[in-house]
Amino acid sequence: MDTTVYQPFATPTSARPTETVRARALSKVYGNGAAAVRAVDAVDVTFTAGAFTAIMGPSGSGKSTLMHLLAGLDTATSGQAFLGDTEITSLGDKELTQLRRDRIGFVFQSFNLLPMFTAEQNIMLPLELAGSRVDADVLSWKDMLVSTLALGDRLQHRPSELSGGQQQRVAIARALIARPDVVFADEPTGNLDSRSGAEVLSFLRRSVRELGRTIIMVTHDPAAAAYADRVVLIADGRIAGDIADPTPESVLAGLDALRSFEIASGPLASAATSTTTVRD
Amino acid sequence: MLRLTLAQMRRSIGRLVSAGIAIAIGTAFVAATLLVGNVITRTTYDAFAASYAHADLVVTGPVSPDVVGAVRSTAGVAAVSVRPQLGLQLSAGSHRAYVLVTEATSEPRLEAQTLIAGSFPSAAGEIALPRATAERLGLHVGDQVDTTHAVGTPSAGTVTSAGTPSGTPSAAVDHGGAEAAGTPTTTPESSVTWVEKRDRLTVVGLVDDPAGAFATSGGAAVLSPSQAEGFAQDQAGSSAVIDDALILTVDGARGTVAVQHELTSVLPHDVAVRTRDEQAQASVASATGDTQSILIVVLGFAAIALIVAALVISNTFQVIVAQRTRMLALLRCVGADKGQLRRSVLMEAALLGLAASAVGLLTGITVVQLTLQVLQRTNADAHLPSTAPLSIVALVLPIVIGTTVTLLAGLAPARAATRVAPLAALRPTEAPTLAGRPGRVRLLLAGTLTLGGTVVLVSAVTLAARVGPLTALGLGVLGGAVSFIGVLVGAVLWIPPVVGVAGRLVARMGTSARLAAANTVRNPRRTAATSTALLIGVTLVTMMSAGAVSARATLDGKLDATYPVDVAVQAIPGADGSTGGLPPGVASTVAHVDGVRTVVPVTEATVRVTPASGTGAVGPTETLHGISATDVAAVLRDGASIAPLDDRTLVLSSPVARSLQVHTGDAVTVVATDATGAARSGVAPIRLTVAVTSLPGQEALVTPTTMAAVAPGAPSPLVWAQLTSTDNAPDVVPAIQDALTDQSVSVTGGAVERASYQRVIDTLLAVVVGLLGVAVVIALVGVANTLSLSVIERRRESATLRAIGLARGQLRAMLAIEGMVIAGVGAVLGIGLGLVYGWAGAATMLGSMGPVRLSVPWRDLGLVVLVALVAGFVASVLPGRAAARTSPVAALAVD
Repeated sequence: MDTTVYQPFATPTSARPTETVRARALSKVYGNGAAAVRAVDAVDVTFTAGAFTAIMGPSGSGKSTLMHLLAGLDTATSGQAFLGDTEITSLGDKELTQLRRDRIGFVFQSFNLLPMFTAEQNIMLPLELAGSRVDADVLSWKDMLVSTLALGDRLQHRPSELSGGQQQRVAIARALIARPDVVFADEPTGNLDSRSGAEVLSFLRRSVRELGRTIIMVTHDPAAAAYADRVVLIADGRIAGDIADPTPESVLAGLDALRSFEIASGPLASAATSTTTVRD
Repeated sequence: MLRLTLAQMRRSIGRLVSAGIAIAIGTAFVAATLLVGNVITRTTYDAFAASYAHADLVVTGPVSPDVVGAVRSTAGVAAVSVRPQLGLQLSAGSHRAYVLVTEATSEPRLEAQTLIAGSFPSAAGEIALPRATAERLGLHVGDQVDTTHAVGTPSAGTVTSAGTPSGTPSAAVDHGGAEAAGTPTTTPESSVTWVEKRDRLTVVGLVDDPAGAFATSGGAAVLSPSQAEGFAQDQAGSSAVIDDALILTVDGARGTVAVQHELTSVLPHDVAVRTRDEQAQASVASATGDTQSILIVVLGFAAIALIVAALVISNTFQVIVAQRTRMLALLRCVGADKGQLRRSVLMEAALLGLAASAVGLLTGITVVQLTLQVLQRTNADAHLPSTAPLSIVALVLPIVIGTTVTLLAGLAPARAATRVAPLAALRPTEAPTLAGRPGRVRLLLAGTLTLGGTVVLVSAVTLAARVGPLTALGLGVLGGAVSFIGVLVGAVLWIPPVVGVAGRLVARMGTSARLAAANTVRNPRRTAATSTALLIGVTLVTMMSAGAVSARATLDGKLDATYPVDVAVQAIPGADGSTGGLPPGVASTVAHVDGVRTVVPVTEATVRVTPASGTGAVGPTETLHGISATDVAAVLRDGASIAPLDDRTLVLSSPVARSLQVHTGDAVTVVATDATGAARSGVAPIRLTVAVTSLPGQEALVTPTTMAAVAPGAPSPLVWAQLTSTDNAPDVVPAIQDALTDQSVSVTGGAVERASYQRVIDTLLAVVVGLLGVAVVIALVGVANTLSLSVIERRRESATLRAIGLARGQLRAMLAIEGMVIAGVGAVLGIGLGLVYGWAGAATMLGSMGPVRLSVPWRDLGLVVLVALVAGFVASVLPGRAAARTSPVAALAVD
């Protein structure tokens, strides 16, 4: 796509190795006229490669819509989204499918494993869909994932024979098997009890720290967000804050500030307390 | 509850509609069948009524000249017209036609046809022809036409080999009082010698048959009364019965009833006197006996279609209930009891059945109506009613049947609905699955039925040669039906593993195929039901096809033996009964007709055969044919039957051998005779050895060398011809007749009869397969239904696959393969079962006739598989589009 090449932001990844996913004045509007809802409102945000970032906000804040746009699952009303140097907002369905297959991984709230396949078959499915060769390199990568996620003795089980936490770990392995540029996780602990949730979150963090992956997680749970390297707060479709090296306390404090500000002055106009909004 | 039911139906409208299509097709089938029955009855009545013109009374039964005389002399009878049982062979130039004959009448009210040119015949030697027949023969008023009719004279015992003349009464279409007792039988041919009598008549008029009185024969020729009755008397031979009906008008002074009473008392008991209307009703009643049984058979096929529709509907309702689990549980939570849920599902089934049946009824009426319109436009002679006669039965029965079937199909799903626990409302919904593993009872029942039925079927096959064909057939049908029901009951148990195997084979093709294969075994019960629906139709189609092909292969051998000569062209004997040779050029003319493979001349002589070891009594005369062994092998269908032919042998057919009381190996003396039956002077008797063969009819053969010794200079009044294919006989034989129309020859032979047998088998097969095709179509609706249900259920899953990189095309391919696997398995299993049943059927029905040749109708089977695969693919198109539209975002939705 020509436009992609000549975009001022579309410099090669090597020039900015740390920037994986970027949004430029990204907007999504549902409905028309008076009934129009700006779910995502001119968002500019950048996510660093090799990091575990959480997008956080209350229900209806637009965090899920933002993720759909960044992942190429939904079409933007205006603005641009980039994965590396590819402008995904300009891609057609075919290119998007290929992009998702090769460069993006997904972890869903309700796991979404295929019930008729074993854990191992589920893990290998993206490679199969892509028609890639399963060579020694891939197999050793799979073994590493399996051991990191502690799934060794569960590979031949079907999803119905696995616990929720185990299913989600299989889903994480599936998301990572093709070594995507980025993994999007949508409320990955939403359907899990707190212990399994904690387990899954620490696995996500290990995937980033030990395997060098990039994960962007959407959550409304401050405890979950605290596992991330960075938390992007979102409210009313806009970036409302940015917490580096969060702890549950700092995330809660950020949220509280957000809430009290909202209560005090309605829609947020600028950055909240204790945050340093990162702009490029 | 009704409001709730309606609300639920609105939510599932798409699925209900596709299930409704299945029942609508079945109901339309029933409705159309009943309506066609009505049309046939009406048409028959109209034709009968029309053929009696405006007669007051109709006299039917064996009508002899005495009866005619008695009727004429009865007081109050104003005019009488006789309906002779007579057919005429017409020829003009190179064209031939066969017509029925009526006699002209002075009373216009008794004339069923209308004159459109010239006049009605008033004297012998005149004829009025139906317009269409005249056109076909290229005749106009004033032209001459040659007629041929058979004259039968009581035989003195001499049997000629001339065979049955063309245009015998048995070929005449019975147009009048067809009541069982009233149809006169022709006298046995063995005691009558048939001679063809030729006349040259002048065409004096052309008639039209606007009311369709003689629709079955395309109108009737009109002769003057004296000539018509004379011809009828000729043709009746020794029988006193010449006519099968006469119609009359009554003098106004005496009432019809009074005349009817008087005639009834005067005439013999086997002659019926009825008013025109009574007679038409009576004729319809006796004629519709056949119609009725045909309709019952067709309704049998409709029943099969409805059973398949019931499977499809039951399947759909099971899924609808499964999908509503949460809703049903919620209802239970807020206080609905089991009965209410059951009633709700049944009410839904009843409403669906009613609506779909109504649509089906309308469709059936429309189809019949359109067919009538088309037929009326394209076939003006058909005399069909312009609108389908609607009877209460034809309107109500389809609705009742359709609704009942739907309701019955809803029973099992209704029971499933009552099993939903209130707790289910509180659990998160998973993809709906149908009730668990099939029980032991089913296994036991299926096993018992299948095994028991198979035992009965096998015994029917093995006993076929010993017990009567009817008993064997009864056993076979019973065994076949029971074992098939067993197979169907057990379908849930054995089809899923088969689908699994098929899936594993397909899975190697790629990712989409692997996903499809995995999907087909996810819901074994539904896959089984879908495949079963198709299996039923395919099994029956294959059974019919395999049975017919095997029957045909078996009968071919029989027909070869029964009709060894395709076509025989024979010089017509002169007035003194002697036969000269064929006119020169006949053999080459025949050989040049398209479709004729071989033509062989045969010499003929009349001889007296005397057994050497006999009583010395003078034997009867026989017609001896001379033909060489190589010619025989080239021209006869069943060459083996004349294998022993050589110069020292007299080959006899078994009827001749029996009448001569000789057996194979006996020595006989053969001497040529002259016209008077005395031995020909100057020719020595020849001693020959008899070989009795399976040749049919009256046949005695020697080699030309022997013939030259027996009857030096024997003429060749006969050629035998073999056609390239007997299937073409209905075209080739008339072509030969046309080519020889100037010659004084007769063209006979088994090819036409043989072809008509084969045509009957082929036509029946085509009709039956067509009728069963409806069941297959319904089953394919079921396949589409199952696929679209799968798509709806797997919405989240499809979205997940799309999110992790499955392309739209791959998703569509996945569904297409799934549809093709389900349909393909149903088709292949159906073919396997159908072959077994078809062969068993052929073996049972034909076992008494000797060894049965089992054949595989490869072409038909290939077609069935192709149709199934294409249909499986087509069935996936719409669901595939819906699935491909699913946004990957749906995968992220929580509920």
